[in-house]
Amino acid sequence: MELARLLPLLLLSAWLLPLGSFAAIVFAGPRMGRGGRKAAYLATGAIGAALVLSLAALGAWLWHHPLAADSQAVAPLSGDWYTLAEFGKLRLAIGYYIDALTLGMFVMVTLISTCIHVYSIGYMREELGEVTDPLVRGSDGGPLVRPGRFPRFFQYLSLFCFSMLGLVVAGNIAMVFVFWELVGICSYLLIGFYIERRSASTAANKAFLVNRVGDFGMIVGIMILLGGLGTFAFGDHLGAEGKVEPGIFSQVRPASAEHGLVVPDGLVRMAAADRLAAVYASMPSADAAEEEIARQIPQLRRAGYGYGLLILAGLGIFCGCVGKSAQFPLHVWLPDAMEGPTPVSALIHAATMVAAGVYLVGRFYPVFAPEVLLVIAVTGCITLFLAATIAIAATDIKRVLAYSTVSQLGYMMFSLGLGGWAAGLFHLFTHACFKALLFLCSGSVIHACHTNEMTEMGGLRKKMPWTAGTMLVGCLAISGAGIPLLIGLSGYHSKDAILAQAFSFARHAPAHAWLFYVAAAGAALTAFYMFRLWFMTFSGKPRVEQVYDHAHESPAVMIVPLVILAVLAISAGWTLPGVDWGLPELLEQARPLGTAEGFPEARTIAGLVVPAEHHSHAPAVHKIVSLAAFAAALAGFLIAAAFYGLRLLSAAAARRWFAPVHWLLVHKWFFDELYDALFVKPALFLARQAAEIDRGVIDWAADGSARLCLRIARIDDWIDRWIVDRFINGLGRWTWRLGLALRPLQSGQLRQYVVMIAVSTVTIFVLISIYRNYAFLP
Amino acid sequence: MTLTSPPILLSLIVFLPALGALLVGLSPKARDELAKQIALAFTVLVLALTVYVAIPAPADPGAIAPSGPETSSRFVVGAGQMQRAFSIPWIESFDIYYALGIDGISLPLVLLTSFLSVLAMAASWSISRHVKAYCVLFLLLETGMLGVFLALDFFLFYVFWEVMLLPMYFLIGVWGGPRREYAAIKFFLFTMFGSVLMLVAILALYFSSDLNRLDKSQLAAAKVHTSVLKEHDPGGPPLHTFNLLALAEQGQAKDSPFSAELVWGKSIQWWVFLLLLVGFLVKAPSFPLHTWLPDAHVEAPTPISMILAGVLLKMGGYGIIRICYPICPAAAYELAWLVCTLGVVSMVYGALAAMAQKDFKRLVAYSSVSHMGYVVLGLGVWTITAQTGMSGDYWKMGMNGAMFQMIAHGISSAGMFFLVGVVYDRVHHRDLDRFGGLFGKMPVYTGVSMVIFFAALGLPGLCGFIGEVLVVLSVWNYSQALAVIAAFVMILTAGYILWTIQRVYLGPEYKGPHGDALRPMTRRELAIAAPLLAFAILLGVYPKAVFNYMAPSVDRTVDALAAWAAESQDPITGAIGSGASAPPGSAGLASLRPDGPWKEVEQP
Repeated sequence: MELARLLPLLLLSAWLLPLGSFAAIVFAGPRMGRGGRKAAYLATGAIGAALVLSLAALGAWLWHHPLAADSQAVAPLSGDWYTLAEFGKLRLAIGYYIDALTLGMFVMVTLISTCIHVYSIGYMREELGEVTDPLVRGSDGGPLVRPGRFPRFFQYLSLFCFSMLGLVVAGNIAMVFVFWELVGICSYLLIGFYIERRSASTAANKAFLVNRVGDFGMIVGIMILLGGLGTFAFGDHLGAEGKVEPGIFSQVRPASAEHGLVVPDGLVRMAAADRLAAVYASMPSADAAEEEIARQIPQLRRAGYGYGLLILAGLGIFCGCVGKSAQFPLHVWLPDAMEGPTPVSALIHAATMVAAGVYLVGRFYPVFAPEVLLVIAVTGCITLFLAATIAIAATDIKRVLAYSTVSQLGYMMFSLGLGGWAAGLFHLFTHACFKALLFLCSGSVIHACHTNEMTEMGGLRKKMPWTAGTMLVGCLAISGAGIPLLIGLSGYHSKDAILAQAFSFARHAPAHAWLFYVAAAGAALTAFYMFRLWFMTFSGKPRVEQVYDHAHESPAVMIVPLVILAVLAISAGWTLPGVDWGLPELLEQARPLGTAEGFPEARTIAGLVVPAEHHSHAPAVHKIVSLAAFAAALAGFLIAAAFYGLRLLSAAAARRWFAPVHWLLVHKWFFDELYDALFVKPALFLARQAAEIDRGVIDWAADGSARLCLRIARIDDWIDRWIVDRFINGLGRWTWRLGLALRPLQSGQLRQYVVMIAVSTVTIFVLISIYRNYAFLP
Repeated sequence: MTLTSPPILLSLIVFLPALGALLVGLSPKARDELAKQIALAFTVLVLALTVYVAIPAPADPGAIAPSGPETSSRFVVGAGQMQRAFSIPWIESFDIYYALGIDGISLPLVLLTSFLSVLAMAASWSISRHVKAYCVLFLLLETGMLGVFLALDFFLFYVFWEVMLLPMYFLIGVWGGPRREYAAIKFFLFTMFGSVLMLVAILALYFSSDLNRLDKSQLAAAKVHTSVLKEHDPGGPPLHTFNLLALAEQGQAKDSPFSAELVWGKSIQWWVFLLLLVGFLVKAPSFPLHTWLPDAHVEAPTPISMILAGVLLKMGGYGIIRICYPICPAAAYELAWLVCTLGVVSMVYGALAAMAQKDFKRLVAYSSVSHMGYVVLGLGVWTITAQTGMSGDYWKMGMNGAMFQMIAHGISSAGMFFLVGVVYDRVHHRDLDRFGGLFGKMPVYTGVSMVIFFAALGLPGLCGFIGEVLVVLSVWNYSQALAVIAAFVMILTAGYILWTIQRVYLGPEYKGPHGDALRPMTRRELAIAAPLLAFAILLGVYPKAVFNYMAPSVDRTVDALAAWAAESQDPITGAIGSGASAPPGSAGLASLRPDGPWKEVEQP
């Protein structure tokens, strides 16, 4: 079968398998063995099969497009599977856009998911029977006892895998949005997995709402693109009459302009709507008007029409990514999301879903103007530093890792924003491996200690050698340990690539050189907080004996995934010598057209030049950066060792010296309090006002007018009774009296009647005649 | 004339419930169960007939434009024009005809009505007072609702509109909660206020209409009765009409009789549009005419809430798309800003007000205000401008989205009201702060509720998403500010829905009274919830189930308006009509105009 048909088929199968597992568990979950045990096997089997299919797809791809040291971009496969709705040329469809990045993500997501599914079988074992939740009080005051929810957990995991794979394979931005929301709801369900805990359901709500704030921006971006380009699709499509309809990417970077950034006609039209109306008004026919408009568009484009909209669209899409990838200023949800079970934190809130924002920035790269890239870089830079500082002061083991995740995601965004497309996505892959590892290790520790607080741990390496060993690998990987200029763990390669790009950027745009220094400082902080975590947990003496005594190494079903992930954390960054097989080479095949040669100078920011990525591979850059990064990480490690490992320095004393800083960091820079005061409270206030307007204004007016009507009716009634009725009654009485008065006339004598008739007739006749001036009177 | 011919079958659909009401009325006393069974049987029968109509007919040309009398009432999918229409003299001296017909706009709503009527009747088993009267009124209500959606004569439409009003008044006023009288009167007065304005508009249209301005083919397409064709005399005195299709044909004509000035420099159609709009927006309901809705819902019994939210509100949207826009295009163009602004304000306002509610049912009622705002907005986004190259595609997207939203909201809001009713039946309170922990006690109920609430939240894969996203995305090319505000509502919606879920379903335990009564759903309740759940998912993943029926008719409406706009709109000043003020260009734009709205006969 040819590649263009085989790959979509393979990925479709891999994508739908978890959905099948989800549906099966929904309908038959509790009946799947004791406590629903078999649901786990079903879900794990489904994702494992998806992994095999993804690997097959990757294999088929590599067979056709072998990797090389100088891999070139390969044209992606795109098309539609299923149309949801169609209006004229606007189409809402479920489609695919497959390139090396898609395949890499598929393998990464399914691989890590499989590891975490296996791990969860052990970790969630308690949920098979009745669960005693010590964090929730039951009605009798004791800890709450509830039935286990083992199948439900795997049901959600399956739904998540389906949604995540759908997001990765998506062929258009609307489909991205669909699965963006679905991974969001999976995240919501899994953060709130312990539904009895108020903190969990609140954290789930917070996660979803903060993400919706990002999605709001994303919808605005999609609106602009749809309104201007008339399509959701990334790639070109075969239209109805066999005509090729250009997708978003080829409209923004048309082949005719050698894939340079061009403001599409639609956006120019949108920005110049008033002028177009004038053209229409002055032309004899619509066709002539369109002809004239087509002639004017290049001039309008040169004058800058539509460029602002292009920036706005890019910022909108990035806004969604800020929410999903927990970047400043929407980073606040991720640490709270640690309320979910630890495997969830590893899968969703470290390795895959939160990386979706980075993935989307990478996918949407062709559309971003240099100004947008600078915003992305600055956002990433602020995030990586901010989160790293908070991680220093956190004592909850999962929260340290959560802030570390935020910080690392910041690195990825930072890199993408500086033009380091491959470096940023490279870090996405390596980070997924070592961060999943770190989270699972922390889960293993929590499973053994029943606490998250590192201040209650210590010395655990003797009790949990495997966990301690694999976690050390994770710490080394994230710190970027390696032999400079030669080889290192996965994080060494990817972080070096990022810093090299930052250095290269600083050389091209000296005004933004600070970005490099902050990132390098961040590298030192990373090493510090990671080894602080490791030393506090595993080395030294136990802090709380009780915790230490109960601690035990986790079962094999949890250890095996740790070992697999540790191997990946070590080797994921390597390029196999001789064949040149490695992630960077794979990513080069997916590089968006037109981005290899760098970006044009920004229109609105002078001196902003985003350099091409290959500049950062220059030996001069590479050598300096490699050594600098190594020095930074080493410094971080040494400080951590001095405070927490060797205990040469006292952490408590340091806390006292820097009390205000510590206070700020412990309170996480007061973002939660700030947002509560700035957004949540005013929103609730407005809500109450709206309800009040309903009662106080609209209903007051409606009820008031009803009451007014009643009052008018009462006045009416009074008039009726006292004026109209009186008149009528009076009239009646008068008539009555008149009748009485006239009664004597009714004498009953015929003669008298005849006389009266005659007299009256004559009188009336005379009167009429006089009145009418009739002349027949004598 | 066979049983399946349109005059018989469509009339059966409308009047079978009334017949059922008669039968219930004649049923023996003190046999409540029997009355309910008869009523349910009739609603099921009506559902069967409407489903029969919806079975796609073979698409041969004769099916749409028959030469002789039609023998089939089945719908031709993919054809946009009015189908299976007929017209029978009713009050001939006032040109009032008994005219019914179906198209892609009315059929989905008819199906929704008959479907929800079955479910609501099934949910009425808990009614125990005056059961016979309840069933009679319920069935009369169904006749009124179906009649509104099928009527093609404006007067007939108005009659059905009023027929539906009175049963509703009694159903709320007799079977409602503690403040039922207030709620019922409020409902009645608000709606009456709207219908009085509508009556004025109807008469204004009637007296300014003139069938003699249309040619024979237009009259035939409008399904006017043959006796009118005989009177037709282009030079003669005005020939008034209530025929909705003929009125639309005149409204979209180049020298529309409705463009004559009435008062204050505004044309007849401007006033008519405004009057009708107010009438329909009361029903929709849109800010600031919505306050009857929360009260009516809070007091109404559960099945009546389901009907009220699921069907009655849709009449507002239906009226706007069926009557306001086709008949008064110039006014619609001029007042599009009003329609869209009211839609967006309703969206924001409803969502905010919902967030502040303490009563479960009130919250759901305000969510209806917010969700119906999407409908109003989507109908109004007039994007046929120079910027889009006079393309109607975005408006088609908005209008289809709005129509879809009506169906989706019919499912999700009826579901939400039913689910609130389920828990109210058990614990007899609706105080949101005194729930919690229902998940532990009623897991299936909670699962169903979460799906239905997520559908209301607009989660992809469920019915609410499609309508909302299509509407919101279509707005940008009409107004960027409104588009941004509309997108913002997404956050508010998520806020109040998630907060509600947390307060009611999550948490360690139930906090209110009668905790022991919280037993899992009964089989009957499940049987009502399951179809709603199934449709919430089905329409979310296969929206074409609706669009296949709906889109051709909606697109046709937009195309007709686009054609009208191309002929008479000056893109620079927005001036309507090719009078002296029109620039030379506007006359030439007539070349864009395809065939008229109702006259072409599509070959499927």
